[in-house]
Amino acid sequence: MTDDLVNAHLKFHDMDAPGGERKVKDMIPRYLAAVERRLPNEQAKDIIAELSEAIASKIEAKEAQLGRAAADDEIADVLKSFGHPVVVASRYSGRDHLIGPQLYPWFWDAQRVGVGLVLAIGLIVLGVRALGADAPISFVFRGIGNILEGAVLAFGMLTVVFVMLERTKTDLRLAARWSPKTLPQDHIRKPRSLFESVFTFAFDIVFILWWVRVIDFPNEVPGRNNSMELHFAEAWAQLHAPILVLALLTAAVHLSDILHPGWSRLRAVISILGHVGGLAVLWVLFRAGPLVSVTASAEESQRAFEVANFINGIFGPVLGIVGLFWAIGMGVEIWRLIQSVRPKIPTASVAI
Amino acid sequence: MPISPEIIETLRLELRRGTLILAVLGALRTEKYGYMLKSELGEQGVEIDEGALYPMLRRLESQGLLTSEWREDAKRQKRFYRLSADGAAALSQLTEEWRGMNRALDRILKESGQ
Repeated sequence: MTDDLVNAHLKFHDMDAPGGERKVKDMIPRYLAAVERRLPNEQAKDIIAELSEAIASKIEAKEAQLGRAAADDEIADVLKSFGHPVVVASRYSGRDHLIGPQLYPWFWDAQRVGVGLVLAIGLIVLGVRALGADAPISFVFRGIGNILEGAVLAFGMLTVVFVMLERTKTDLRLAARWSPKTLPQDHIRKPRSLFESVFTFAFDIVFILWWVRVIDFPNEVPGRNNSMELHFAEAWAQLHAPILVLALLTAAVHLSDILHPGWSRLRAVISILGHVGGLAVLWVLFRAGPLVSVTASAEESQRAFEVANFINGIFGPVLGIVGLFWAIGMGVEIWRLIQSVRPKIPTASVAI
Repeated sequence: MPISPEIIETLRLELRRGTLILAVLGALRTEKYGYMLKSELGEQGVEIDEGALYPMLRRLESQGLLTSEWREDAKRQKRFYRLSADGAAALSQLTEEWRGMNRALDRILKESGQ
């Protein structure tokens, strides 16, 4: 039917526009072809037939109004009034966005977390490794390129995921599945900013990966020949698994801060348990004796001995200070937990 | 500071967007082909681009609110649209909604001295 219609229209213009047939003949089929090749196959013929008829009707009305055949420019104006072929075809597709307004807020939230996580992990690893690099500045510049590539990749992957969700009309019902009751309780604990939560979680990930030896950091002690290396003493070996469990627990708590920033009793209990476990680990370390050893070449053995003594010497006060902070943190969490179960004092009504 | 024409144009388009569907459904209580519909709406003061009208007609048809058929008219094949039974029910509900909003808006605008 399409070809018949187009041919009929061409014939119509051949008769009514002497001298201009060549261009008119060209313009309308070229316009229709430009639209058609962008349409879904199953609808293309039907849409083009209707579009062709609509163009012919409009030109016919124009000619009736002018009382003469439409000139090339006037026909071109009619075609322009229908819109650019890309725009016209896209309107028929029914899709004028990659990610619609339903998913868009979640898309940006996911990007902030996903890309933020990649950047934070990359920067932490780069910073620590740069400290032991021979040329730290050039090392950092090289590394930043890799981090940016990772961030772009993360952005692209998340975008693809959301485009797929949009295309498949997946309703995450995220906007419907919330309750004002689950919003953060500011009077108990001001929720961390998303940036802070993401950065903290990234630090947890880097620590866990380092602890299970997936990634390495330089352990050379700066010196004349770089022959001195720092090693954990035996005391750490028996604590490897408990520290890993505590690190995973901490990461889980920080992940929950990203996904569900509100304070909850469960989070408080987990946090208190984590603090108790952390203090137990500190206590074992405190009593264990030397925590690091330094190996070196024979000519630097005396200096290695002094370095090891110095580091082991400051470990005691450092462990004490960390323990004090954790004890305070645990006390605060316990206080919040008690506050949350105490009956609330009525407050003045809020005018809206 | 005067409001920029772009902002006014955006607001105008947002205001018109939903009402165009109501105008199209209302006009198609009697059968029309695309160009006839556009012309009649234009005469009533509702201008709509062809680029928006034809995709809208197909969408409304795919939603079951319109039916269409190809037929010869003035020696050319034309696609005629008309309201389906579901379309008539939808039009009735939307009209009720529109009138309610119109009354409410009238009251608000009168109270604000517009």
